[in-house]
Amino acid sequence: MLITKQALAASVALLAGSSAFADQWDNTLEQIQSQYIVPKYENFSASADELAKATAALCLAPSDTTLETAKQAFSQNIQDWQQVQWLNFGPVTYFMRYYAYEYWPDKKGVTQRQLRTLSADPSTMATPKFWTSASIAVRGMTAIESLLYHSDFDVVAKNSDCEVLEAISRHHATTTHDVLTQWQQSQATDWIFPEEGTTATPEHLVVEQLMQQWIEHMSVVKDAKLETPIGYKDQPTLKLAEFYRSEQTLPAILTNLKAYRNLYHVGQPSLFDTAMAKQPELAQALESALAENVKAALQLPNDYFTADYSQAERIEMAKPLVLSISNSQTKLSNLVTKLGFQIGFNSRDGD
Amino acid sequence: MLLSRRAFLASSLAAMSIPTWASALPIEAQGELFFSAFSKGKTDHYVGAFGSNGRLLWSMPLPDRAHAPVVHPTHSVVGAVARRPGFYIDFFNPLTGEAIKRIEPLAEHHFYGHAVFSQDGERLITQENHYPTGAGKIVIRSWPQGEVLNEYSSGGIGPHESVLMDQDVIVIANGGLRTHPDNDREIMNLETMRPNVTFLSLKDGRVINQAEPEPLLHKLSIRHLDVNRQGVVALGFQYQGELWENVPLVALVSANSDTLDYLDMPEQIRARFQQYCGSVCFDASGETLAISTPRGGFVAYWDVPSKTFLGVDNCRDVCGVIATNRKHEFVLTSGTGKQLISSPRTRQISQINQLADLHWDNHLRRINLNA
Repeated sequence: MLITKQALAASVALLAGSSAFADQWDNTLEQIQSQYIVPKYENFSASADELAKATAALCLAPSDTTLETAKQAFSQNIQDWQQVQWLNFGPVTYFMRYYAYEYWPDKKGVTQRQLRTLSADPSTMATPKFWTSASIAVRGMTAIESLLYHSDFDVVAKNSDCEVLEAISRHHATTTHDVLTQWQQSQATDWIFPEEGTTATPEHLVVEQLMQQWIEHMSVVKDAKLETPIGYKDQPTLKLAEFYRSEQTLPAILTNLKAYRNLYHVGQPSLFDTAMAKQPELAQALESALAENVKAALQLPNDYFTADYSQAERIEMAKPLVLSISNSQTKLSNLVTKLGFQIGFNSRDGD
Repeated sequence: MLLSRRAFLASSLAAMSIPTWASALPIEAQGELFFSAFSKGKTDHYVGAFGSNGRLLWSMPLPDRAHAPVVHPTHSVVGAVARRPGFYIDFFNPLTGEAIKRIEPLAEHHFYGHAVFSQDGERLITQENHYPTGAGKIVIRSWPQGEVLNEYSSGGIGPHESVLMDQDVIVIANGGLRTHPDNDREIMNLETMRPNVTFLSLKDGRVINQAEPEPLLHKLSIRHLDVNRQGVVALGFQYQGELWENVPLVALVSANSDTLDYLDMPEQIRARFQQYCGSVCFDASGETLAISTPRGGFVAYWDVPSKTFLGVDNCRDVCGVIATNRKHEFVLTSGTGKQLISSPRTRQISQINQLADLHWDNHLRRINLNA
């Protein structure tokens, strides 16, 4: 078979191009893991440890002071969680860990009901296989928040409530440490299920899944964290807002939105760098949209979810943020599609 | 001279210059054609046909996204059923590209994205929602005239897909979700929904049998189904509760049982389904069951006689599944434009083709002259 010089040169250029492209995602993904996921999980694990220690100290010497220390540790742990909440991928997807971290929204008060049962006999939590079969409603931060803040529980005055709190906090810290260790000891590409015969590199497939997770999480922030509790389209359900009792709803949103910007810029080349090289207009448009998200969230008053605003007032105040998140989601979808990723067709919109 | 119904049908189709599949299928198709809706970008929607080599042989633009094709059993007619809330079924002759007919739902009704022809091809059977009341309907029209012959209750709310058990009985997946086209993704009866599978007589609309999930699982929406030659019906659920709830997602049922026989699978696989089953399909022998989950990114398989889990094929955004005429073999289509052929019992899967910039929509159908 004859191959012209031009055809050969073109083939070499094409191969070189695709190789460079693959390497680009190799580096970006490696750095997303080493400079974002692992450090954020280190923070999350460290604050979970602090929370476990604080609840142990509280139960050892119950007082308003030790309670306050435990609450502060809890708030820090929530904020660390919000940095990685967008990522329902990898170790956190096993043993229902992701859903156990937050049993939210708990529309039927399952957490409180199950906590009351545990508090009636906390010794059940010490049995060897308790945590392997325990309900996800009592395995994570939603349960801890209830014990620290819900009026049904009094961890200062009632030993059994505090015992439950201490056990859950300890379990939460262990789980988080396990997730961290698995991230430290594996590569992101270990956590995907590649198709037979696919031509896409594992790195490409992982980055694609991360982008899908990011896009989906924007919907969570806009819909579940903001629109639903304030009654943007329906009746308000403020008490079902995320971490409402500990008044962490708005800080959590703000942390999520800042995390997006962080994610966009982590590593070298970062997602932003690659996007700027290939799709500069879209890359810049997303950059502006992500900045606008943070700006719009900062416009909301600190007591936005807790003060006595009317539904109409809350909706009016939320509009710029709702529009901004929608816009950033569109920009992100457009960009990742142009970068050659599939954001899902049947998986995003079936029937 | 009195004209028999069959003769009349033949003459009607002849008058419309519709050939039979057997007389007109191109050699390139090698006796079989696959049909699916697909989209290019966000606004360009089509229905198309491809042969066993995966090459697109024909396509026609559609006004909106379609959900499942409906294929005439004898003549070269394929319909694209609009996605819920659907207001059209566009019929084409895929061998010429000619648009044959558009059928619209009854007044104040919409389609659910699926339809089926009777075994003799003389009747078109659709599932429809009378949206002012939420009543599920099975509507039987003459084909090709489109005249409404019968209108039966589906036996529930939200009749999504139906399959023929035999020439007189249809099995209906009543999903249980009441919706209205004004806000079609809002579920109006989430807390009270009661999905069921209904076996309905096509002769008189009589309910022959029904089965439904137990009350604790009332959010287990029954959406897609298939029936094998042994009369076993497989059901794929779309759970409307929380993602973390441990619920069954696949079941078998028969016409003489009112209980659902849930199929086991490893928990790590069940969790990956994300509570969502796409297509449900038996193989040619009826012994292998395939269930796709685009959200999970795989197709799962079971051995039907023993009800045991066989394994999965990982495939991003996969949804379309159809049996070939070989035992234990399926063709799969995905939102990434791929067409694959899988033999799950020998763990062999290979890509037939991939059409760039094209998203195969939910369901795949096939006409086969080789059987």
